[in-house]
Amino acid sequence: MKGLVPLFLGVFGTFAFSWVGLTVIPNLQIGALNPQMDEEGTDIYPAPKSGMADRGRRIYAANGCIYCHSQQVRPDYASADIDRKWGERRSAPRDYIFDRPVLLGKERMGPDLANIGKRAPVEEEKAAAPANAPATSPAAAPSPPAAPGSTKPAASGSPSPAAASSAPPAGSSPAPAANPPPSASPNSNGVPPIYSEAWHHRHLYSPRSVNPDNRDSTMPAYRFLYEKHPISGERSADALRLTGPDAPPPGWEIVPTYEAKCLVAYLMSLDQSHPLKEVKTAGGAAPPAGPPAAPPAGSPAASPAPAQPKK
Amino acid sequence: MTPAADIPLREPAVSAAAGDAEQLERARIDASTRVPVLMFYASAMVWLLIGTLLAGFVSFKLHSPDWLSDVSFLTWGRLRPVHMNVMIYGWASMAAMGTAIWLMARLCRTTLRHPLLIVTGIWFWNIGVLIGVIGILMGYSTGYQWLEFPPYAAVVLFVAYALIISWAVLMFRFRRGDQIYITQWYLLGAFLWFPWLYAAAQAMLFVVPVQGVMQAAVGWWYANNLLFLWLGAVALGTAYYMIPKVIGRPVYSYHLATIGFWTYALFSSWTGMQRLVDGPFPAWMITASIAATILTIIPVATVGLNHHMTMQGYFPVMRYSPTLRFTVFGAMSYTVFSVVGILISLRSTARYLHFTEASIAYSHLGLYAFFTMIMFGSMYYIVPRLVGREWRYATLIKLHFWASAYGIGLMSLMLLVGGFVQGVSQNDPSLPFIESTGSVLPYLRGRTLAALLLTISHFIFAFHFGLMLFGLGRTSTVPTFLNPVEAEGSEGHL
Repeated sequence: MKGLVPLFLGVFGTFAFSWVGLTVIPNLQIGALNPQMDEEGTDIYPAPKSGMADRGRRIYAANGCIYCHSQQVRPDYASADIDRKWGERRSAPRDYIFDRPVLLGKERMGPDLANIGKRAPVEEEKAAAPANAPATSPAAAPSPPAAPGSTKPAASGSPSPAAASSAPPAGSSPAPAANPPPSASPNSNGVPPIYSEAWHHRHLYSPRSVNPDNRDSTMPAYRFLYEKHPISGERSADALRLTGPDAPPPGWEIVPTYEAKCLVAYLMSLDQSHPLKEVKTAGGAAPPAGPPAAPPAGSPAASPAPAQPKK
Repeated sequence: MTPAADIPLREPAVSAAAGDAEQLERARIDASTRVPVLMFYASAMVWLLIGTLLAGFVSFKLHSPDWLSDVSFLTWGRLRPVHMNVMIYGWASMAAMGTAIWLMARLCRTTLRHPLLIVTGIWFWNIGVLIGVIGILMGYSTGYQWLEFPPYAAVVLFVAYALIISWAVLMFRFRRGDQIYITQWYLLGAFLWFPWLYAAAQAMLFVVPVQGVMQAAVGWWYANNLLFLWLGAVALGTAYYMIPKVIGRPVYSYHLATIGFWTYALFSSWTGMQRLVDGPFPAWMITASIAATILTIIPVATVGLNHHMTMQGYFPVMRYSPTLRFTVFGAMSYTVFSVVGILISLRSTARYLHFTEASIAYSHLGLYAFFTMIMFGSMYYIVPRLVGREWRYATLIKLHFWASAYGIGLMSLMLLVGGFVQGVSQNDPSLPFIESTGSVLPYLRGRTLAALLLTISHFIFAFHFGLMLFGLGRTSTVPTFLNPVEAEGSEGHL
């Protein structure tokens, strides 16, 4: 080959071709999406995350959660994601318009988290508190109630997980770890109801203690997000209720740092259950089945659920 | 053909009937690149050792998660991006720049001007990587694959790169002779592609951030192109230089090389989106990348054929020349890497391999078996010409090669098979998810063994390189062969 000019032009041309083709044109197509709303301009989805949840996203990114957990539900024809109850529909670009950084994930050493907040037990606070109180401390409120912003997203996942999991034709035997009956009471060894805030804290602090089937979990403990304090006077409201070898010595307690609370607030805010016009919701009958079941479960009326029949 | 006596084992510069003037010129050019290139290599070696130790930690912690997990900066999720970024920006990029600058000076037949500017650039680059590493450890990772360094580290890297590469590119202006050799196409391409890529990705993610999932698209576009257009291009260019040079025979076909280069630039730059298969994207993006991945078989075939035909009849030279042995291993791995890339990107196989360890196997095939092995080969060739000494121990080179080859082979096998096992159980909704994690654990332990092998290999090489750097190599006019040439003279298998 002779001459620099053709070489340079070719080098530039191939680069520009790929840049335009794979980033600029897609950006024109899906790079400026707006939230979806109904005719009255209400029922807006998605909404930006609360301050704590938004900060939790940074902590999620900083500690590399993304290397093991994805946040995307693939369609039913390509994967078992929906059969695993990780969501009722595939994820769509519109689900992520407020996410920065977007944390789609690349590997699944752990389960998908796209809808982890929605899978929390709905009536967590009322149900969990009395049931747990005798466990270790009488004063403990089960979940860190500190942040109203953090509990709201949890509640907005209106259709209760029970309703959700009963609707699709239940892909053979349900997975114990991924899909337990979301009873709002703790199980025998004092572990809070699965995917509740208290459960997340305990899981982050001691991943292999929450479930005997979880022995193979390769999740590291994030104990540096928790602090050990001597109990002065009363136990802190948000102290973790730990049992067995994880329990602090008497007179001490383990409390989440603000970062841990943000991280859990973020997890609780992950919810793609709201239907989108551009995506078919799996099972067809599933979304309409949701709302009737949901209200008794105590979801506030402001939830997006009633808008579902619009489809 | 007659036995080994005819194999041009010596570097053609010595054995060929080149005039004294030409040898003198080469010596002068090599001398001008001496300080910067050795500095590149020395820095790269340090980062390689750090990255290797980190790899061991990361691999071990993945199946023994409670080990050293209580300190924030030792948590797995921070060490892992540090490992990746140290390898990419510390080891791979610095080794690539060192080799590329040396090759460029040789091929342009001009001395490297202003080596001190480049040395300054190297310092900046090292500082940039260090800042980035500390940033990630402190918890400021950006969360984008291979771009985890906080943006301020990227600024330092960018300044460093400008200082380094402007003079490398300007060598073109002072080049002698009209012909631009194949290696120079790849190198010029790489020199220009990297800053464009890096700038485009930084701009679209941090300066004028794109919305939502487009960030992931930009991230994968960058990561794949970094692998192909930056590191891969340097590696292929190096192979095009080293193979003909060591065996003393011209490249089989220029025509094939041209096809290989342009199809490489065209198709490999369109890959990346297949890593988002079935994600929340328009299907055409993913399909386009899958198609481009399949089309990369064209450059693979042409480049592979070209190297093969050049090597035809000279394969036994790999018995003696360390450079050739590493380079050919790398060139062959390019084929393996690309074929694996095609296999894991098809939608039918992605169903079982997406979101599994198989993607790690793919990255390591590209970054290690292909790129790193070729860089090792080039260092075995270049370093003696810069320090004026020959490698001291043939045994160490052999150990280095076999530990690396078995290490990366074992690792790829473990991760590919483990990934498949993992994917099959992920895809069976009747199994609890945790079983897929459990099923891959034995393979992850095997991978730790591979990491151990690679650690041994890298420390051996670093020790050997250190000897060279401190002037403790052999003083001899004959290069270090892996096996004694005389003793093998009777083997007539050529």
